[in-house]
Amino acid sequence: MDTMTTPLTEPIYAQPSASVDDHNRVPGNSGIWVGIFCVLVEFFLLFIVYFVAKAHHPEAFQTGPDKLVTLAGVTITLLLLTSGYCMVKAVESIRKDAATRAFRWVILAFILGCGYPLVKYFEIQWNMAHGVDTKAGIFYTVYYYLTLNHLVHVFWGLLGLGWVAVRTHRGIYTSKDYSGLEAAAVYWHTTDVIWLAIFPFFYILR
Amino acid sequence: MGKMNIGHAEKIWLLLIGLTVAGAWFAETGHPGWPLTLIVAGLIAFKGRMVVDHYMEMSRANARIRHVLYTFITIVPLLVIFSHGWGDLFRRLTTLN
Repeated sequence: MDTMTTPLTEPIYAQPSASVDDHNRVPGNSGIWVGIFCVLVEFFLLFIVYFVAKAHHPEAFQTGPDKLVTLAGVTITLLLLTSGYCMVKAVESIRKDAATRAFRWVILAFILGCGYPLVKYFEIQWNMAHGVDTKAGIFYTVYYYLTLNHLVHVFWGLLGLGWVAVRTHRGIYTSKDYSGLEAAAVYWHTTDVIWLAIFPFFYILR
Repeated sequence: MGKMNIGHAEKIWLLLIGLTVAGAWFAETGHPGWPLTLIVAGLIAFKGRMVVDHYMEMSRANARIRHVLYTFITIVPLLVIFSHGWGDLFRRLTTLN
């Protein structure tokens, strides 16, 4: 079933999951993709802000990463990629009607995802102790603006993972209908894709 | 996600982890300039494509959605290259006079 052509009067959560062999399928549901497109546009505009600031203050962006903890950025990347892998396994499991296994993968994805705000907390503590605050310069202003904005979207993703964990535990998802679980997964992967750009912007590029 | 061969998801995950660590190591030990810029742009495009194709299963999904995601992970690396190589032009284009 092509969920993009489904009448708006039909609740998106009531739609059965399309076959994975359907090359026109919409992973998750059409509602989540509206949200994902909005997030992509939002971050694309924020990236433009980054590039404009960088063009006008090249020195600040060349030396800025030196004061940031690269290990924190690497750790967040590894946590997100591994958490995303767990969601891949969760969807794979539910397609085999292995709900208990899917639940465990979602929980693992959630726990790893919670590592992100935890690392961010310690990173910001370290930053503050070393005078790296929002007034430390244009590079750090853009760094806080973009990374904290991303953190907010990660919180939405974590709420989604928590929600689908409960529903998976209750046996609501089956191999015939797991669109809610898949919707949470694709949103979670989107935060991953965006972070894959943010990470080198502030921790790698000189 | 889904109908992957056994171990395929694990291979993709290991590749992404390896590239992340290698990229960070190169940045810490290498020099700023074109090599780092090109490697970063390549990594954003390649890792993004891996996540989009293999984690999100976009290679066999609705074409419109796929193209939006492909556009995103193509334009961002191009902006990385453009901002490094043509920073002056970019500054002039974004200056309000």
